Amino acid sequence: MNEPQNPSQSDEQNLDNQSRLHQDFARVWDAPKGWRTLATVNHTPVAMRFMVTGIIFFLIGGVMAMLMRTQLALPGQDILGPELYNQLFTMHGTVMMFLFAIPVLEAFAMYLIPKMVGARDLAFPRLSSLGYYCYLFGGIILLSSIFMGMAPNSGWFMYTPLSGNIYSPGKGSDFWLLGITFVEISALGAGAELVVSILRMRANGMTLRQMPIFCWYILAMSLMIVFGFPPLILGSILLELERSAGMVFFAVEGGGDPLLWQHLFWLFGHPEVYIIFLPAAGIVSTILPVFAQRPLVGYAWVVLSITLMGFVSFGLWVHHMFTVGIPQLAQAFFSAASMLVAIPTAIQIFAWLATLWTGRVVYNLPMLWIIGFLVVFVCGGLTGVMLALVPFNWQVHDTHFVVAHMHYVLVGGMLFPVMAGLYYWLPHVSGRLPSDNLGRWGFWLFFIGFNATFLLMHVTGLLGMPRRAYTYEAGLGWDWLNLLSSVGGFVMAAGVAMIIVDIVMHFRFGQQSKRNPWQADTLEWAMPTPPNSYNFASLPDIHSRNPLWDQPQLLTSIDAGEHALAEIHHERRETFGSDAVTGKISHIIHLPNNSWLPLYASLTLAVVCISLLLRIYPLALAGTVATFLVLLRWGWVNGAHPGAAPLTKDEHLRLPLHSRTCDGPGLWGMVVSLMANGTLYVSLLFGWFYLWTVSPHWIAPQQSPLALSPLLASGVLLTMAVFYYNRLVARLCKGDARGLQSGLWIVTGLGLLHFTLLLWVYVQAPLDPSSLAHDSVLTVMLLYLLLHSGAAVVLCGLQAQRVKLGYVGANLPYEPVVLRPFWLYTLAVFWISFAAFVLLPMSWGGA
Amino acid sequence: MFSPHHPVQLVLGLIIWSLFFVAVYSGLSVGCAFAPPSPEQGALTWINASVLLLMLATMIYLLCNAYYCWRARLPSKSSDNQGQPQKVREFIARIAASEYLLAAVATLLVGLPSVYLPPCV
Repeated sequence: MNEPQNPSQSDEQNLDNQSRLHQDFARVWDAPKGWRTLATVNHTPVAMRFMVTGIIFFLIGGVMAMLMRTQLALPGQDILGPELYNQLFTMHGTVMMFLFAIPVLEAFAMYLIPKMVGARDLAFPRLSSLGYYCYLFGGIILLSSIFMGMAPNSGWFMYTPLSGNIYSPGKGSDFWLLGITFVEISALGAGAELVVSILRMRANGMTLRQMPIFCWYILAMSLMIVFGFPPLILGSILLELERSAGMVFFAVEGGGDPLLWQHLFWLFGHPEVYIIFLPAAGIVSTILPVFAQRPLVGYAWVVLSITLMGFVSFGLWVHHMFTVGIPQLAQAFFSAASMLVAIPTAIQIFAWLATLWTGRVVYNLPMLWIIGFLVVFVCGGLTGVMLALVPFNWQVHDTHFVVAHMHYVLVGGMLFPVMAGLYYWLPHVSGRLPSDNLGRWGFWLFFIGFNATFLLMHVTGLLGMPRRAYTYEAGLGWDWLNLLSSVGGFVMAAGVAMIIVDIVMHFRFGQQSKRNPWQADTLEWAMPTPPNSYNFASLPDIHSRNPLWDQPQLLTSIDAGEHALAEIHHERRETFGSDAVTGKISHIIHLPNNSWLPLYASLTLAVVCISLLLRIYPLALAGTVATFLVLLRWGWVNGAHPGAAPLTKDEHLRLPLHSRTCDGPGLWGMVVSLMANGTLYVSLLFGWFYLWTVSPHWIAPQQSPLALSPLLASGVLLTMAVFYYNRLVARLCKGDARGLQSGLWIVTGLGLLHFTLLLWVYVQAPLDPSSLAHDSVLTVMLLYLLLHSGAAVVLCGLQAQRVKLGYVGANLPYEPVVLRPFWLYTLAVFWISFAAFVLLPMSWGGA
Repeated sequence: MFSPHHPVQLVLGLIIWSLFFVAVYSGLSVGCAFAPPSPEQGALTWINASVLLLMLATMIYLLCNAYYCWRARLPSKSSDNQGQPQKVREFIARIAASEYLLAAVATLLVGLPSVYLPPCV
């Protein structure tokens, strides 16, 4: 019989057990040391890399701004010269928008979301890693252009025809188009995985109405990325095809239209402002209640305003084009929508003010930045309403007034909250506190410098100074304003320097922070700081919107392994998968280990990007094939593969692993990715109809250049393949895997026949994409269909092989389920294309 | 028709508004490209009338949905709660009702200029 233990012995044993538990978790989750750390996929280090890289890009973009302010400080200066000035303002905007703002906000989201929802990682950790490397390499490629003296110089919005071959014959525009598209892979990847992580990985019991408000903001941001970025990706692809392959999309002769670029750019560009603002506002809505020491006032109202903002912001894009000759009524539609967006912004501002009003506010350093945000952003919002009025917009179009407004909105709406967030979560990252004195100096220098620079710039603009002009004559009334703006710019730079010194120093000299130093309510503070690699040793049930205020024992009980999934003997990285609405857990998600494959894939993509820049097309093709192979390898070691989560005998004792279900995160990831893909396709359709109706030289042949009968036959084969596949999957989800392998081979065969026929139609078609916009769009459409059909066939063939190897079957139905939406999508775009590109023109009397 | 507690209701009102917005903008562009009314007609054109009719139809539909969701915010005796806690059902129904209402207001604001502006000038 065991002797009863005394309390101290029992405590010691508990500590031993706890320590062993953490060691075991660390063994499975920790990042490798040395250079092998490049293979890390865990969300915490990957998010930190995004953050640090983004800050470096911010400093580079800031130096560009300082050079421009030096040039403009006095009239008639020739320090930079027009060519370099053009490159600098183009690169400043590009770097700040694409390489700083979005990646840094994504970094916040990637770092915080799993921790806030009580998960151990994001849904697709390898995608995070791939995203980081695409961002890094794309950014380096883009920035290298300025050091080679061939940076893009057509403005960050790259308007055609200025950015086309005739007016920008060098490589500058190509750097922009290819580099930005490369970087956007990262944004789209992050968007997809954040959506899935927020909806499907929340702690048990965390319903939608208990989700931290930050998650709502990030959910909206991510969906906006999913729908907002593809139009620009399509525009970039089309412009690059026009520049390098001589196709016609934006050149008027041949049936293109330069305004199509503006539409595609601003379909992305205006939501982009809100993609940047929403997560920053999410930081405000998270921090402000902590320092007001009360829950956020009007949680449901804020959720409502986030959703409203997410939608309405897509209806504003034409307000950037009020001067291009659009009918007044159409302008009125967009003017009304532009004013409407002030409503959700105001709801949030009033919710924040009410929270401050009814709380007991502690004015710590992060709070100082929040107050700065409220002041600056409200001013930017007011000038935004002014710009939404068409007559005023015409008056100040392309003047420094617009530059000032844009900086008030973007710096006020993004940088101030980000600085607040940085100071708020620094103790979480480092376990130390920054210097309050240095921080306050940094804030005031930045705040005063910012307003000196940009408040005055409104006046400069109202006095008529155009933007993007590298110099100006003395005596126009702009001299003193520009001088003071430049002085303000340098004061702001001093503030940034002070903040960087503070942050860097705090890692070495900062005072040790206690656990949860701000007395916050959200779950990320329930873990030790700096955080461990697995976030939580055990996963708690959450039934409150403010878990650490309502369940303070979580600070100790999670670490002690008192909650669910506190086991690691299987050596797998696991976290819960839950219902999107109720948060009720339904399965266990097994996450992939560290891997070099994301790095390899991004390297091969970099080869594609560089070889396209240098126009070495065979190398680009080789890089594409290599990327495809790496991605196939990535997908192969998955599910029940021995390298992932092979079937075991005791599976029935636990919740099922996601690869044993028909509803895992991969399915949601596929659907979200297809939403982005569908947006790209709809943008192509928009381009087709736009050119057809608007382009003054649109020429359509009398007869369709595509062979109708083979095209129809190809469609019928695809339809048969998809219907058969659908039937197989439906049976599989009912546990019936009879004939699965042979069925998948039949689908692969039908798909291959369809692909071959479609390829034949393409090769035989007498298309002349170098002369006609009509044929250029048709070519892109056919290539798009071929790409999808080809990918579906290869992936289906691999599934058949995996059935043979036992990685897919009655107990392992997951992968064919994930592939099903892709097949359905391929079928849908085929028939929509057939209707829009073939049938409709025929019925309209011209193909 | 979706249940008023279905999460899709959180975005459906605004999706309908988006479709209305795309329809009026693209319809206006196509109408002006292929059958432009004379500028002398001012706002009394078939295009303006179509925009107003579409606006009215969309608004009525959105307002009906707002009422449908608003009514459903209260606990019902029916056991068909799809496993959702009552507070979540209430949360979804309230937000959905508010969004339908705001979407109706947005529809009105976007469509209203067609009362006085000529379509293709």
